[in-house]
Amino acid sequence: MAPIPVNDATSLETSQAASASTCPAHSPAPEQYPDGNPDAPYNPPGARNTDSCLPLKPAGEVVHNYATKGPAPGDLAFRWIHGSVCAAKNTDPRIQVLAYNEDTYIMRENPCVNWEAPFTYLLFGNHGALLIDTGATPEAEYYPLRLTVDQIIIRWCGIRRKKSVPLTVVLTSGEDVAQNQGIRQFADRAQTNLTPLELGARMEFHALGSSWKQGLGRIDLGGRVVAVIPTPGTHKDGLSFFDAYTCLLFTGDLLYPGRVQIANDRDYVASLLRLQQYKQSHPMKWVMGGHVEMMFIPGRAYPRFSNNRPFEHLLQLEPESIDEAVEHVRGVVGKPAVVFRTNFILLNRVSPDEKVYQSAPDLPQIPVPFWTSLSQ
Amino acid sequence: MDLKSLDRRTFLSLPVVSVVIPAVAAAMAPEAEAMGGPPAPAIANEPIDFKTNVPASGSFPEKWICGSPSCMDNHDPPIQVNWYNEHTVFMRQNKAYSYEAPFMHLYFGNERVLLIDQGYTQLRTDWPLRDVVDRCIAEWCAKHGRGVEDMELLAAFTHLHDDHYEGINQLYSRPNTRYMGQTHEEMVGFWGMTNYPEERVTLDLGGRDVLIWGNPGHVFSEFAYYDTYSQILHTGDMFYRGRCYISFWDKWFASMKRLMTFLEDHPVTHVVGCHVEISRTGQDYPYGITYQPDEAPMHMTVEELKHAYEVAKTITEPGIYFTGSVYLCNETRDTTTIDRNPYEYE
Repeated sequence: MAPIPVNDATSLETSQAASASTCPAHSPAPEQYPDGNPDAPYNPPGARNTDSCLPLKPAGEVVHNYATKGPAPGDLAFRWIHGSVCAAKNTDPRIQVLAYNEDTYIMRENPCVNWEAPFTYLLFGNHGALLIDTGATPEAEYYPLRLTVDQIIIRWCGIRRKKSVPLTVVLTSGEDVAQNQGIRQFADRAQTNLTPLELGARMEFHALGSSWKQGLGRIDLGGRVVAVIPTPGTHKDGLSFFDAYTCLLFTGDLLYPGRVQIANDRDYVASLLRLQQYKQSHPMKWVMGGHVEMMFIPGRAYPRFSNNRPFEHLLQLEPESIDEAVEHVRGVVGKPAVVFRTNFILLNRVSPDEKVYQSAPDLPQIPVPFWTSLSQ
Repeated sequence: MDLKSLDRRTFLSLPVVSVVIPAVAAAMAPEAEAMGGPPAPAIANEPIDFKTNVPASGSFPEKWICGSPSCMDNHDPPIQVNWYNEHTVFMRQNKAYSYEAPFMHLYFGNERVLLIDQGYTQLRTDWPLRDVVDRCIAEWCAKHGRGVEDMELLAAFTHLHDDHYEGINQLYSRPNTRYMGQTHEEMVGFWGMTNYPEERVTLDLGGRDVLIWGNPGHVFSEFAYYDTYSQILHTGDMFYRGRCYISFWDKWFASMKRLMTFLEDHPVTHVVGCHVEISRTGQDYPYGITYQPDEAPMHMTVEELKHAYEVAKTITEPGIYFTGSVYLCNETRDTTTIDRNPYEYE
C-alpha cells in the first residue's frame, strides 16, 4: 500500500507508512498535493489534534518539503512587548520569541534594553538556518541573542531528529548600528557562517560581485530558498531578503512602519521599483521591517528613544505599501521633505526629529490618548 | 485672619510669602495631633544663621548619574541625592526612569523647606520621590534638632511643564505641605505676585531668603529662584546646559536682561538649570536619549550666562545658536535636535 501523503510535506519513514496503513488509502503521489491532500485523514483516532507538518512518530531525521502553493501558513496574532512607563523596572523578557510557524521565528529586542527594539528573523531549511539581522546591543547579558538562537536551534533540531544545523548570519545593512551589534556574540560559534560588515566583502559573501546593485543573490537552506535583493537607499549597503516559503519580504530599514530615514533618495526610489517589480513575479504576503515606530494612529509615530509604546502599529505591512511609497517618494526626490502616510513616514534630507509630533492634514486627525505624555 | 476656618481652596490660594508662619504652625498643630502624631515639640535648637558667612560653600558630585546602555539593567538609585551643603540638596531623576532626567532642589530654612520641581514620574510605586524627600527632611531634622511635623514643605516648580511637576501627585497626601497649582494664575498667586514677570518677591524660609521673579521665554509661566544663602541662581529651563528651547524670543530676551540687571547687585556662585543635554566637548545629546556617558556638569558660571547674553544680542533670526556652553534654540518649534541622519550618502 502506498504511503498516505500527509500535509505539505513530510517524507514518511516506512514504519509510519505501516502504522498508518490501517487508514483508508489515498494513493495519488505526494507531488500532486504540495499543500497537503485535503482528503487525507490527518488525525486518525487516538492522534493528537495538531496541524504540525511533522509526522507523529518520526523514526529518523525529518526532511520537510518546502514547496507550497502560495504562502506557508503562519501566525502573528500576538502582542509585541512594548516597553514600560518606567524602563528601569521593566520585567518583560529581553528577547521576545514568536514562532510564526515551525520553521520561522521572529524575535524582538525589548525596547527597555534598546529603544530601537529591532526585529530579527530566524528561518530554517532542511540543511541550514538563517538569521536575518542581529539587534542593537552587543552585550550578551543585556541582550542574549546568541543564547536565544542556540536554544531555538537545539529545540528545532530535537523536533527534526537532527544532530545540528549550520547557521548563516546575514544583515539587511552592515553599517546599521541598530542591526549589526549582536553579530559579535556569534564570533566564535561553531558551524556558523557570518557575513562581513564591510560593503564590498558583504557583496562578495552574497556572490553579487561589483555590479551588485543589479544582481540577485540566493541562499539555499535546503529546500527553502531565500532571495537576496540589493536595496540601497536607507543604507548604502542595504539588502532585502525574500523567503519563497512564507512569502515574507524582510526589508530592514528600507520600509517599515515607522519613520523611514532615506539616506539617498535616487537609490531609494530605484530599490522600491526593484521590489515592486519583484512583487509582480512573486506572491508576497507581507513586508516585514526591522522596527515598529508608528502608533496605532494614522501618520503618527513615537519619537526616537522612546521606550514606552503602549499602542504600537503592527509589524507587518501589506505589499501594497511598496507601491504607496513609490508613488509618494517620487515627488520629493532632491527636496527636503517629510511624507506622512497612514502606515509609515518617509524622511528625506531632514533631521531625524523633523515634525516628530505631527501628522499630515490629509490623514484622519485622531488625537493621541490623553494618558500618554506624548499628547501634545 | 482665622486660619482655622480656611478651606483647602482658600488655603491654597493664599500667597505663601504673606503668611505668618507661627500662625500656620499653630493652626496645623491640632490636626497633626489628631492624626496620631505626638504634640509638636518646640524648636529645640538655636535658629540656624543663614545670613552671615555667605555664600555658604558646597559641592556638586564629580559626575551625576547619566543613564546606562540598557535601561532595564540600570542599577543606579532612582534619584541621586547630592547634599550641596548642610542645608541645600540637589537631586536628579535617573535617566532610566525618565529620559528628561530633571534636577530638583531642596532648600532648608528654620521653619520651612522649599522643594523646587518634582520630576517626571507620577506614581510613587514607579519612582519614589516622596520617600526620598521625606528621608532628606527627616535626616535634616534629626541633625538639627527639629520635628519633621514642624517643618512646612512648599512644593513649587520652575515652570508649567510636566517633566517638572508630574511627581507632585506623590505629595498630595503629605501633612503640612503646600503645593503650587498648575495654572499660571495659581503659580503667580502662590508667590503673591501682582506684577508678573517684573516683580521680585522674597520668600522667607525662616531666616533664609529666596528671591523669586518671573523668567518667561521657554514658556510663559516660569520663575527664576535665587537662594541668598548659597547664592545659587536657578534659571530653570530658560537657561541650562543643553538646548534652551525659546518659544517666545522677546520674552526670553527680556528675561535675560532682567537676569543681567539682577547680577549687577547680587553675587552669584553658580547658575543652575533643570537638565543637562550636552557632553564635556559640547556634543549635543539628541532629545530623548537615555544614556549620556560623557555629560557636562550641570552648574554653569556667571560668565557663561553673561556670554550667552552677548551672543543673544546678535541674534535676529529663528535658528539654533551655540554659545560655547548652551544651545539657544530660537523659536525652532518642530526641531527638537540638531543632528542629521548619520547614514546619508551621495
